[in-house]
Amino acid sequence: MDLGLEGKVALVTGAGSQIGFGKAICLTLAKEGCDIVVNDIDLGNAQKTADEVKALGRKTIAVKADITRKAEVDAMCKKILAELGRIDILVNNAGGMHLGAPDFIDAKEETWDKDYALNVKGAMFCAQAVIPGMIEHKYGKIVNITSSVAKQAFPRVSTYAMAKSAMYVFTRSLAGMVIKQGINVNSVAPGWGLTNFDPRPHEEIKRGFIPETPRAKETTPQDVANAVAFLASDVSAHVVGQILCVDGGSTMQ
Amino acid sequence: MDLGFKGKVALVTGAGSQIGFGKAISLLLAREGCDAVAVTDINLDDAEKTAEALKALGCKSIAVKADVTNKAEVQEMVKKVVAEYGKIDILLNVAGGIMGGGPLEEQKEEIWDKEIALNLKGTILVSQAVLPHMKKQNYGVIVNIGSGSTHMYSHGVGTYAMAKAAVDTFTKQLATAEVKSGIRVNCVAPGPSPTNFIKAPDKQAVIDMLAKEIPMGRGATLEDIANASVFLASDVSSYITGQVLHVSGGSVM
Repeated sequence: MDLGLEGKVALVTGAGSQIGFGKAICLTLAKEGCDIVVNDIDLGNAQKTADEVKALGRKTIAVKADITRKAEVDAMCKKILAELGRIDILVNNAGGMHLGAPDFIDAKEETWDKDYALNVKGAMFCAQAVIPGMIEHKYGKIVNITSSVAKQAFPRVSTYAMAKSAMYVFTRSLAGMVIKQGINVNSVAPGWGLTNFDPRPHEEIKRGFIPETPRAKETTPQDVANAVAFLASDVSAHVVGQILCVDGGSTMQ
Repeated sequence: MDLGFKGKVALVTGAGSQIGFGKAISLLLAREGCDAVAVTDINLDDAEKTAEALKALGCKSIAVKADVTNKAEVQEMVKKVVAEYGKIDILLNVAGGIMGGGPLEEQKEEIWDKEIALNLKGTILVSQAVLPHMKKQNYGVIVNIGSGSTHMYSHGVGTYAMAKAAVDTFTKQLATAEVKSGIRVNCVAPGPSPTNFIKAPDKQAVIDMLAKEIPMGRGATLEDIANASVFLASDVSSYITGQVLHVSGGSVM
């Protein structure tokens, strides 16, 4: 299926990890013809991803930015516009999970603030920075990577899951606000993956959570990247404000 | 993006209408490389027109007449398709229709029964008939066509929307029941579109009027629905199951 992504410029945040969803998203969009801006807080890692994009024959730049700082996000977008002229696609992939205290009464405010800053505020800063350009071109796609944990209840009260739940609402409310300006906003909600996300060892995740998922399989980076490519393309032009769960049936509500 | 349809056999119900989702989905499956697309409709002449269009694309096709609300006819239809192609990998439950509406006190029980039979029981009967063939090969993809009307309550009381809500539940139940059999079940929920579901002669005029209430400002095109259906019918979405994807320009989020 021709997704019509040839020549589009995509910014993927948090794409430095070499085993993460962000890198797979970059490579999949590049294979579909996008030029890619690889963002990460760690420039060395972002450059590794960018090198692989380059090997696919697409233009690419690696940009360091801490997305929880508005000034850094704005500077990043300015640099992208100067070098590549436009941003057609924003994939808000950067995120992170703090496990927090097992017991809610011991939970620290500091952890809550960090979870909200990284998972909600960061995505909002990035959207804020790219939307003016998208409105100017009357074209844009924003795909927020959320999580299907926001639909579930785990024993630990997790501000991460709450933050992702906030991102569902951000996705829907932003979608309604900018759709008339030609900008689609949607979300992909992955299930458990074997990435750097969960600080616990992969073996523990494999034993503990994945067998309980209906398919007894983890979410692979490619599973997520395929769904992102669909939502980042005009093939899904009439899909607006949706949360697409890519979690092997873990959540269906 | 290669959707991996090479060698696949699909069955599309309700594919007779020449301005409907069924035909659009069938043609897209063919263009994306399906080996054979069997089409069924209650009106054989119409189904044959779609089959001819498929053959013109170089895809194998047969047209089979069946009333999806009749178990014997459904069983016979599936038998015919399997006899012809040896298997069914993909099932698109498209057959459906709106018959009722109006003030509740004037509605007829007979219409409720018909509407529920066509939209809900038909989907269940066809799935039931196809399931053993999918289980045998430990592979199958079912995509049900739902409706945005399940979440839009201003169109009055109608068993069409209620039946489609039941299709959502059926999607999730069957997805869970068969997840270990290698079978995925998902649902595409379209918003208003200028198909035969709109009874007025100038269908586009009705859609344009409804479009004022749609955030995107336009109705769904046949391509919008076909794109989403074909994405979910492909292995590109192999980790997605039990999901209802609304393709309604933001009417339902």
